Amino acid sequence: MAKVVVVTSGKGGVGKTTSCASIGTALAMQGHRTVLIDFDVGLRNLDLVMGCERRVVYDLINVTTGEAKLSQALIKDKRLDGLFMLPASQTRDKDALTYEGVGDVIDALKEEFDFIICDSPAGIERGAVMAMYYADEAIVVSNPEVSSVRDSDRIIGLLDSKTRRAEQGESVKAHLLITRYDPERVEHSDMMSVQDIEEILAIPVVGVIPESPAVLRASNQGIPVVHDSDSDAGQAYSDTVARFLGEELPMRFTELERKGLFSRMFGGRR
Amino acid sequence: MKRLRNFFQKDSCQSADVARERLKVMISQDRMQRNQPDFLPRLQRELVEVIRRYTQSEQDEIQVSYHSLPQRSQIELNVSWPRNLP
Repeated sequence: MAKVVVVTSGKGGVGKTTSCASIGTALAMQGHRTVLIDFDVGLRNLDLVMGCERRVVYDLINVTTGEAKLSQALIKDKRLDGLFMLPASQTRDKDALTYEGVGDVIDALKEEFDFIICDSPAGIERGAVMAMYYADEAIVVSNPEVSSVRDSDRIIGLLDSKTRRAEQGESVKAHLLITRYDPERVEHSDMMSVQDIEEILAIPVVGVIPESPAVLRASNQGIPVVHDSDSDAGQAYSDTVARFLGEELPMRFTELERKGLFSRMFGGRR
Repeated sequence: MKRLRNFFQKDSCQSADVARERLKVMISQDRMQRNQPDFLPRLQRELVEVIRRYTQSEQDEIQVSYHSLPQRSQIELNVSWPRNLP
């Protein structure tokens, strides 16, 4: 049974698209047929992070309006079999998306895929609600920072009221993904801890991604950071997806590493 | 020197604790408003207007609070006014 998952946050710039790319990639690495849908009409970026921007011909709106077939619009990932993406429109106005149109596309994708990952636009407007409407589960991305956590709480409220599941009296299972985490600043009490944020938002943590130079390096190259299996962020995304699939793993990269004299003198940052 | 300063500042300025407390307050307010019907602010304003016409209560002597119960919604109205003693 195909699962529809929305990656959402409320606030912009917290790492929705980066997370979406790595989560989708990691699911495909584990052999699950996965499709990523970019819902950010007018601000399409998932294709760039996935490194397939030059192969975009048709987009989600073209499919909902019947201008293109679904098979024409889907872009196959060049690194992994079983990973596809459906880009957002860069030019059309965002009202061109309709609930019926999106519902039809998702129903069609459910025939072909195990996971349908929806990359939500920022905000709490129609686009964000559209991205979450058909979701079975949600990954709420939050930074350890007050405005991001507050906006995440708003989004959790919308998941409980504005989704199809909510309308049917069911619930959308929400997972918390904390990104840009810096254990050193947490240690100095200058950043809220995982426990603080989990307690405030009251949804279980599925992963913690450390602040890492590997994330920018990956998006510069259009290669989801999870491919960089030597990096802390890449490993943290692999762990996140393993937990999402039901494995029980301890959190990594959330405690300050006590560096010995040797590594302080010779160990560079990866 | 910086270390020494940090050592003394540590107790007075733990910004993560401040963030956590501010968020708890904000979010509990947000959550309360989230469940309220859209007409509530208007209803509240009109109720206050009508009541004040009769009682001359001060603004803070009229309290309208909203409660969301499992099966129904409820508003609670608390009004007080100064008695004119003879």
